[in-house]
Amino acid sequence: MAVTTGAGRLDGRDKATGATRYVADLVLPGVLHVAVVRSPLPHAEIGAVDGTAAAAAPGVVGVFTAADIGSPHFGRRVMDAPVLAVDRVRYVGEPVAAVVADTRRHAERAAALVEVEYRELPVVASAAEATAAAAPDVHDAPWDYPGAVVKQGDGPNLQSVVRHGDEDATAAALASAPVVVDAVYTTPAGHQGYLEPQGCVARVGPDGLVEVWINNKSPYRLVGQLAASLGLEPDRIVVHPVPIGGDFGGKGSPMAAPLCVSLSRLTGRPCRLVLRYSEDLSSTNPRHPTTMRVRLGADRDGRLLALRFDSLADGGAYAAFKPIASVNLHGMVEAGSPYRLPHRYIESRIAYTTTVPKGHARAPGAPQATFAVESAMDELAARLGMDPVELRRRNVLVDGDPNPDGVVWAEARGRQVLDAAVTALRPRAVPAGWRHGWGISLYDRATAPGQTSLRLRDDPDRPGVVAEVPIPETGTGNHTVVREGLARLLGLDRDLVRVVHVPTSDLPGDAGVGGSRVTASLSEAVERAAAAWAARTDREPVMVTLDAGGDSTRVTSFSAQIAQVAVDPETGQVRVLEVISALDVAEVVNPAAHRMQIDGGTAMGFGFAVLEDLRIEDGQVWAGNLGDFRMPTAHDLPQLTTVLVPGGKGVGALNVKQIGELTNVPTAAAIANAVAAATGARVRSVPVTAEAVLSAMEVAG
Amino acid sequence: MSAVTEFLAPDTVEAAIAALAGDDEAVAVGGATALSLMMKEGLLFPSRLVWLGRIPGWDSITAAPGMVRIGAGVTLADLAGSESVRRALPAVAAAAGTAANPRVRSVATVGGHLAHADPRQDLPPVLLAAGAVALVSGPGGDRRVPVDDLLVGFYETSLAAAEVITAVEVPLTPGSRQVYARFNPGSADDYPTVGIAVHVELGPDDTVASVRVAAGGCASRAVLLHEAAAVIRGRSPSALDLPAVQAAVEAEIPVVGDHRGAESYKRRVAGVWARRAVAGAVGDAGPLLGQPVAVV
Amino acid sequence: MKISLNLNGEQVYADVEADSLLLDTLRDQLGLTGTKEGCGVGVCGACSVLVGGNPVSSCLYLAAMADGADVWTVEGLTASDPDLADAFVECEGMQCGICTPGQVVAAAALRRHHPGASPEEIRRWMSGNLCRCTGYGTIIEAVERYVGRD
Repeated sequence: MAVTTGAGRLDGRDKATGATRYVADLVLPGVLHVAVVRSPLPHAEIGAVDGTAAAAAPGVVGVFTAADIGSPHFGRRVMDAPVLAVDRVRYVGEPVAAVVADTRRHAERAAALVEVEYRELPVVASAAEATAAAAPDVHDAPWDYPGAVVKQGDGPNLQSVVRHGDEDATAAALASAPVVVDAVYTTPAGHQGYLEPQGCVARVGPDGLVEVWINNKSPYRLVGQLAASLGLEPDRIVVHPVPIGGDFGGKGSPMAAPLCVSLSRLTGRPCRLVLRYSEDLSSTNPRHPTTMRVRLGADRDGRLLALRFDSLADGGAYAAFKPIASVNLHGMVEAGSPYRLPHRYIESRIAYTTTVPKGHARAPGAPQATFAVESAMDELAARLGMDPVELRRRNVLVDGDPNPDGVVWAEARGRQVLDAAVTALRPRAVPAGWRHGWGISLYDRATAPGQTSLRLRDDPDRPGVVAEVPIPETGTGNHTVVREGLARLLGLDRDLVRVVHVPTSDLPGDAGVGGSRVTASLSEAVERAAAAWAARTDREPVMVTLDAGGDSTRVTSFSAQIAQVAVDPETGQVRVLEVISALDVAEVVNPAAHRMQIDGGTAMGFGFAVLEDLRIEDGQVWAGNLGDFRMPTAHDLPQLTTVLVPGGKGVGALNVKQIGELTNVPTAAAIANAVAAATGARVRSVPVTAEAVLSAMEVAG
Repeated sequence: MSAVTEFLAPDTVEAAIAALAGDDEAVAVGGATALSLMMKEGLLFPSRLVWLGRIPGWDSITAAPGMVRIGAGVTLADLAGSESVRRALPAVAAAAGTAANPRVRSVATVGGHLAHADPRQDLPPVLLAAGAVALVSGPGGDRRVPVDDLLVGFYETSLAAAEVITAVEVPLTPGSRQVYARFNPGSADDYPTVGIAVHVELGPDDTVASVRVAAGGCASRAVLLHEAAAVIRGRSPSALDLPAVQAAVEAEIPVVGDHRGAESYKRRVAGVWARRAVAGAVGDAGPLLGQPVAVV
Repeated sequence: MKISLNLNGEQVYADVEADSLLLDTLRDQLGLTGTKEGCGVGVCGACSVLVGGNPVSSCLYLAAMADGADVWTVEGLTASDPDLADAFVECEGMQCGICTPGQVVAAAALRRHHPGASPEEIRRWMSGNLCRCTGYGTIIEAVERYVGRD
């Protein structure tokens, strides 16, 4: 079912007129404002905390430390993050105390008056330092935290180690491979770049009912996380619906919620904390900086024989912001997945350091791993004297091939997207003296619906239907997908379908936004709900629930990008002229939203590739404001060319494939490969800056 | 940390000076763009804000014989958009029009820009190359301060307590060639890694009679590059030794490395960029970026 | 101190401190939450409003400087000119929406200051307003549609 109406988004007008209310726009009666006193040091013992002057400042209700709130910890999996620091701080920006006041201004002014004594401890500034012999401990006993996956004896300062594949067989295959590339690639810490800072309002009623308004994309999971952190009953917690001002992986953690709930319990009034953007940059959950060694072997015909991929990522002070069972990053353990690889061994380690804790960013781990492996593919092609596209065509999965994990996809359309990308390429002229080059990169990602639920009921105000959904609108247009699907399946005018995001108390559950699963999940739920609605014999509401998993886990999508660049050999400046994205799609539900997921993803990939770096040095984030972090503007972007390769077999009633995490992943390698093609210089770190290119050109001679 | 307790908006220069002189922690306010940032970042704790925006004539651009007088309250947007400035001082207009974004340009003032003395700014190298002079008034009277003497270092000027910049005078040099070439290889909205301004006047014999080359973004303040100018002066435009210009800049430019480039990189690109800017000023523009690559 | 604003065509008063920012005055005192705080340093443009017809970052603009000025926010601009919001709705020039009020105000300022802006000038002007979601294509199209309208 293709719903290609161009009819627009149901949230469009409110957003264009400023009427949409985000968490920072909510005004609760009697609300108090919270400001956080943050650590100025990367690692220190906390001595005395003197809040006397702050407590006496105008408007201040109270100054609170960990002891006042019972020293709770929280985590999405590993419960290692203190709500307020307990005895010790482990990164610059860590919350040490909270000031509660009648206005935000009063709270912030008073927070500057809180005096904290620190005794400095050794800084563990990088994952390499953290895992060296005799490294100082970031945590005394990380294996003791609830949810921990590491054991005593695993090595110093580890959050997670995943060993995946047959190490010995891979080593043997590499040892006998006629051609082997062995290279190390690095990527920096990066903020997700949502423009709405993290924020929360919490109200604990006299009856103990906990109400939370928060820009969190997994509200049902948040209920469980809050209950576990604060010792509450889950059925006494309600997370209210709030639209989210950008996510990109960064809005899935409890963040300020445990603190605001704790402070509301203490003060008896609603408590609100909205971060300033500078706080968000330095103290939330940015993308992991990573060092990756790739060993890639092939025969002389360019048939891949083996991949060994070793990644060491800086997880920062706490593991709490990673949700998956391995406390690792999916993208790392999927390195090389687009190809037939007889042997693959992956070791992905994530270390504790005394830096800001790291979390999920759009396709967690995949931009890093794909930069490394797809750069190595071009280095291998160069060694073989083979065209990089041909090398990929020879090795990419085709129908019936098992991927490196042994999964046989319902279809494997990698060659089609490679060919479509190359066909779209029109080399461009560059200024006199500049060099021209283009490079390609390939990625594939599975589509997997997740748990969700949906209720339909009669609209009391008009002859239409109300669809209650459990999932926040993060901007991708998921509420519009529900409206379009129901209008079509129920034969209703779309204006008669009202989509309402309801509190967590009103529906049984949802896995949250993430993993590019939303359209797939919702489309299945919509299909089932519409069928039940059509079959009902009374006026009772209809509810459907959808569990995770199923057949659809056998669906993947391929994404090939070509970057076309001009390079100034005198300065190393790279001007990316065009990024072509060739994408494996099934049906497109909302063409405009689909396009924005593609273009927005490419823009994010472009930023990761050439601009963005939080610059964590000596334990501190040096990109102190958004100007320093340098996200791409409208003027910075290259031409974005999209080639959809239609006709794919998707999942669910709408026959869809995921799109949200296909285009931000391959961009960096495509650009680095293009620079190498233009200059002969290989840049093995992102961002690919002018300075790095000039330096690599000197190395290349 | 003291709170800001007073906001004053005097309507004469004299009243402004008196207001500034009356409080050690007073700060003069142009458009407040940089000031607000510094207050937010905890770098500045003024107790009194003296906004100069109500002084009549503060924001006027006037042409006088041989020069253009730019009021200190002229915004970067108005400077960039002024027909007379675009015609007579194209590099000044270009630099004003490229700094920051439209919102900052429509508020930030020329006087505030200079008094802020951020070494990454676009206007100071252009004003240095143009031979501009700041008009300064204070408790001790009025004085004329060449921009080269006004700029001291990182966020530091030679303004004395309670002195304010009232205007900038830029000499007119009909027939001169003026170029501002901004090297910002990352985001277009970022500060320049290096910005080079060149001002060339040809004599009656068609050789370079007068030349100034200035650089911003490199050091603790925008600087004039005298050695580079010496290589150019007296030569015919068609016989310039451009590699010698590049070498002179590389040798003489003071550089402080930062995340827009290590010391060695900035030094090198300053040389390249100066060579290209000079070539542009005397005729052969070459690939002066800041503009997108031409797409065929 | 007391200031008066001609806000969205209506005379209003606010009691502000010497260093109060226009953004906070609009949102907290005057209840106009359409103007958003993003980066807080004048880079992202989410807090864009018009003061005296010029676009400003209200996160850096002292409220006291606006005393007596005409101030227009996204609410007033879209209410007084239906074409403005229509262009964004029709082109679907938004996703999460947090930058959208700023994009809308920037479009209004562009039409006022550069009525015949070329596509390149539009892109350059709009580059002062960041968006992380869309890749800018639909936003630029919305602005082109609006600026191209009479």
